[in-house]
Amino acid sequence: MATSTSPAPAQQRPRQNRDSGSGVNFGRVLKSEWIKVTTVPSTVILIVSTVVVMVGLAALASWAISITQDEIQSAGAPQGGPGGPGMEGFNAAEQAWMIPSSGLIFGQLLIASLAVVLIASEWATGMIRSTMVAVPKRMPALLAKNVIIAAIAFVIGAGSAFLSYLVAQPILGGDLDFGLTTDGVLPSIVNTGTYLALIAIISMAIGTLLRNTAGGVVTAVALFFVVPLIIVNLLSGLADWIPDAARFLPTNAGDQLVAITTQSDALTQWEGGLVMGAWALVLLVVSLVVTQKRDV
Amino acid sequence: MIEAQALSKRYGAKTAVDAVSFTVQPGKVTGFLGPNGAGKSTTMRMIVGLDNPSGGRVTVNGRPYAQHGAPLREVGALLDAKAVHTKRSAYNHLRAMAATHGIPNSRVKEVIELTGLGPVAKKRVGGFSLGMGQRLGIAAALLGDPHTVILDEPVNGLDPEGVQWVRHLSKGLAAEGRTVFLSSHLMSEMALTADHLIVIGRGRIIADAPIQSIIDGQGKARVRVRADRPQDLLGSLAGEGVTAQVLEPELVEITGVDPRRIAEIALRERVLVYELTPLQVSLEDAYMELTQTEVEYHSHDLPTADQAAAPLEGR
Repeated sequence: MATSTSPAPAQQRPRQNRDSGSGVNFGRVLKSEWIKVTTVPSTVILIVSTVVVMVGLAALASWAISITQDEIQSAGAPQGGPGGPGMEGFNAAEQAWMIPSSGLIFGQLLIASLAVVLIASEWATGMIRSTMVAVPKRMPALLAKNVIIAAIAFVIGAGSAFLSYLVAQPILGGDLDFGLTTDGVLPSIVNTGTYLALIAIISMAIGTLLRNTAGGVVTAVALFFVVPLIIVNLLSGLADWIPDAARFLPTNAGDQLVAITTQSDALTQWEGGLVMGAWALVLLVVSLVVTQKRDV
Repeated sequence: MIEAQALSKRYGAKTAVDAVSFTVQPGKVTGFLGPNGAGKSTTMRMIVGLDNPSGGRVTVNGRPYAQHGAPLREVGALLDAKAVHTKRSAYNHLRAMAATHGIPNSRVKEVIELTGLGPVAKKRVGGFSLGMGQRLGIAAALLGDPHTVILDEPVNGLDPEGVQWVRHLSKGLAAEGRTVFLSSHLMSEMALTADHLIVIGRGRIIADAPIQSIIDGQGKARVRVRADRPQDLLGSLAGEGVTAQVLEPELVEITGVDPRRIAEIALRERVLVYELTPLQVSLEDAYMELTQTEVEYHSHDLPTADQAAAPLEGR
């Protein structure tokens, strides 16, 4: 101990691993984030339940549509007229084509929670410090997390939509069943995945900025559900510009992304996708910049 | 090697670390000692880039931590035993950390064995004791076989066997030529483990020296003397800046002069001396002496109602 002032002999240096193959790269960070997602039970449970809920909702929707269609037909047949009064607006075929994306309404809630939980739980448990010591440049770690959650959400969305399509056909029966080649059906299935991927990125940004699971979930739900509802039901009559602006809310824009047909005053499918994508991109960039500067 | 230059961290009006400069050398265990709230953890967090310094800079092996291509192979850090997702198993946690650097699973298993986590490696970290959490943190620090190891309060929550294990591990790593930087508020542990000490109090470095010189320099030599006529002896020593405490008629403790000098005076004055014992100053005493003006929260014996209601001292 007393000889501690003498410097250590150079030959005692430990073996060194400085070859270029030994460091951090994006592929490795992706793999690390993938390990993290798949090794916490709650995330796996959320992923499975999202698929179950989305396909289940689609099955219910198909059932409801086929019953409605039967009622219209049985009501219409004895009169011999062109459909009963009050039923003119109901186009059962068009409703049926929307079945693959009908699970979104709850699916997005679960995906939003999953995305918030994935990042905010790292702050809650202190894991974020391990993450950022391993990847001190931070941005690759956060980007990798976004890529993983967006990919998972896309696969869940598109996969559930396709499953829903398959499940719906026997329920709808011979009159209403439709093929993947029907106009707009295949894009709607794929875009159900895109929609959820964008929801995931927006939610993860919210979770990153708030660093709090409960606050993040509440904020995401407010943005996706509550604000659109308030505007449609309470505020839209106050001024003309309010419903105009409401079209640009993420979920309202996203609805156009998965829609089969769009109305003339609404955003087109492309516009809807771009608006929702812009929300995701802006929030992602803000969350990256803030994370870069903030103490962990 | 860790080099800090005028490193500062301020939180609002409060300065946690105040322009500290120090170097942690390879090949020995450097202790980072200070009372709670002295700025040890904040300094260590700045070393690995978790906190951005408000001023100054700190480098590891010549570069800021974040600019290393393979940071886990440069520096292994145990900063907070609870920096782990509670629902993940220890094995999967280490696997996820290792994956960022392409460290193979064989190394993950190696550090699990090394830290004695084998029996609990597949269990969720949430159920770990504090000591197990510390072992997992140390396992994570060693994953990349790093040149520099930073351990913040590593013996916290460890049982005596674990404390000894950390001591042997730290010395072993230093003997291999690595830089070992170890923080603690326990001076006794530092006395056994560290070769060199950096003492910090209220964000400032109070001492930075080999451990022996801190013991020698701060605690002045104190000698217990039994003699026939101690008053004569003290009279002759009076001019040499000593202080003395008479414990019994023939027993005094003399501070500020070494035993040889006392024996010389005794010989000259023809005082019979029948005990002359140098009293070793413990590191603990030296530490208290160093930091007594620098602690942020003083404790009092038996505070009165008035004192308890008074605002914190030392602000």
